[in-house]
Amino acid sequence: MTRAKIEGALLGAFAAFLLAVPWLVPAIADRFWVSVITEILIWSLFAASVNLLFGYVGLLSFGQALFFGCGMYGVAIGIAKLGLGFWPALGLGVACSAAMALVAGVFAVRLTWHYFAIITVVFSLIFYFLALTLKQLTGGDDGTSFALPATFRLGEMELSLADKTFQYFFILATVSSCFFVMRRLVASPLGRALAAIRENDTRAALIGLNVYMLRLAAFVISGVLAGIAGALFAFFGRYASATYMFYHVSGEAVVWTIVGGAGTLLGPLIGTSLFIVVREVVSTRWEHHGLIVGVVAILIVIFAPRGIVGLWRDMVERFVQRP
Amino acid sequence: MLEVVLVLAINGLIWGLIIALIALGLSIIFGLLDIINIAHGDFFMIGTVLAWTVLVQTGSFWPAFLIAPLIGFALGALIQRIVIQPIRNAAALSIVATFGLSLILQESVRMTFGPTPRRILAPIPGTVHLFGINYEIYRLFAALIALAAIGGFFVFLHRTKIGTWMRAVRHDRDTAIAMGIPANRVYVVTFALGFALAALGGVVAAPITTVDFRAGVDILPFCFMAVIIGGLGNLPGTAAAAVLLAFLEGIIASFADPTYARITSLVLMSVVLLARPQGLFRGLAR
Repeated sequence: MTRAKIEGALLGAFAAFLLAVPWLVPAIADRFWVSVITEILIWSLFAASVNLLFGYVGLLSFGQALFFGCGMYGVAIGIAKLGLGFWPALGLGVACSAAMALVAGVFAVRLTWHYFAIITVVFSLIFYFLALTLKQLTGGDDGTSFALPATFRLGEMELSLADKTFQYFFILATVSSCFFVMRRLVASPLGRALAAIRENDTRAALIGLNVYMLRLAAFVISGVLAGIAGALFAFFGRYASATYMFYHVSGEAVVWTIVGGAGTLLGPLIGTSLFIVVREVVSTRWEHHGLIVGVVAILIVIFAPRGIVGLWRDMVERFVQRP
Repeated sequence: MLEVVLVLAINGLIWGLIIALIALGLSIIFGLLDIINIAHGDFFMIGTVLAWTVLVQTGSFWPAFLIAPLIGFALGALIQRIVIQPIRNAAALSIVATFGLSLILQESVRMTFGPTPRRILAPIPGTVHLFGINYEIYRLFAALIALAAIGGFFVFLHRTKIGTWMRAVRHDRDTAIAMGIPANRVYVVTFALGFALAALGGVVAAPITTVDFRAGVDILPFCFMAVIIGGLGNLPGTAAAAVLLAFLEGIIASFADPTYARITSLVLMSVVLLARPQGLFRGLAR
């Protein structure tokens, strides 16, 4: 057995599990875990947007919450203020985050490394404070809540996210298509070019790659992914709030990504699942689960800098190669 | 109207001096260890909590000025040894590690000190008549302490052996090691000093703000602004930028929503980052 085969089998089992969740989970545990798993899917897409920039292009963004927030507000304002239906509101959320990512990216990708990390925080803080101040548009501290419109309408029949099973599958389908697109992207010539920039941007420029435009493209794609996650989360919670634009939200996604394994497709999913499951299990009994998150983050960084996926790969390689 | 502007301007100036004290620690840690310290705001918060603890335990505020920086120094040395030293060569990971550290510090304080914010009464009561307004005496005293500490730190950096070592390691690590400077010990001292400065800032600021386990989250962006606008690793520039920013925000806050003041300085910071990444005060760098 090679590593690829083991991982393929595990992935198949995982996919089967995800498809069976709405029936399997209530049978073996509380129904409430279905919505925890739904939430994990959304946040892992958000973490994946951090991973796309950091793991595949080498840019550490601490401001992804800005695009998450744009997606949220696009949906919430679209429905509550403009009276849009489900799909136009989703479109508005994604378009808002894409536009914001384009504008922020034009400036941000001129910088690299520490400066890039800091300017992304600064941009997200500017709009965080703006969202708090523009109460008429965003609802300020309280946020904007809205009534869920129908997703599909077939004659008399209405299908909306209020149906928990449909909500789960809608979010699963959206998140897995995003992961699929990301996988194709990383393997495409564009993805190769981005990897070249991550390894050495001077050499990448010398072989004729337009480093600035490529970084900008990656920044916008990553912003759109974060925006989709934000739009889904708005539908999931039926509201939008400025608190999700604060830099702590971006920071958590960075931690999830690096703990799971940056530069791997499923690393963000694994890191996010770990932290959210720990939070849900511990927070009911002990309110200081942040302590565990902090300790785990530090331990992983010191002892397994390539994350859980890296740890797993080392382990399997050692196991498989034993004659 | 003029009085309001004056009060807010002086408040800004004093707050700027305290921020400068905290941001100096952030700046030396960045300049020497190449670490973006997300936990730095929490070092400040630990200082305010220590001040409150000392006040409750001894009934007097004054010992905190000595005790808090000492505990801060010890904690800083410990953290550098356990957390920072193993990840010296991976700057991206340092952000994750210090983020984890920030969570640990906040949660520990929430667990022991409690989640409710508390206030400390000014240890020097009363006001003084100043330019036609009544001004709290303690705030003026706080500005003096901050100024003295900043001055003392620069004297330390330029007149003592360890200070010289710190400048040498920052300038050229390999050469410094070749000359026999114990770089690893310098790193420990630097990180510990950064913590101590932030803790001292916390003690000075404790009677002016509230003592709260989340205080660090609010103050961190401001410190980063000072460090960036002053120029990363440029210490006098950092101090100047902190005072300038707080003064500016004080003035803007006197006629507009304080949030707009914050947005203005953030926009200013973006412009500086994009147009002059070496900071506004390059001439002050040495």
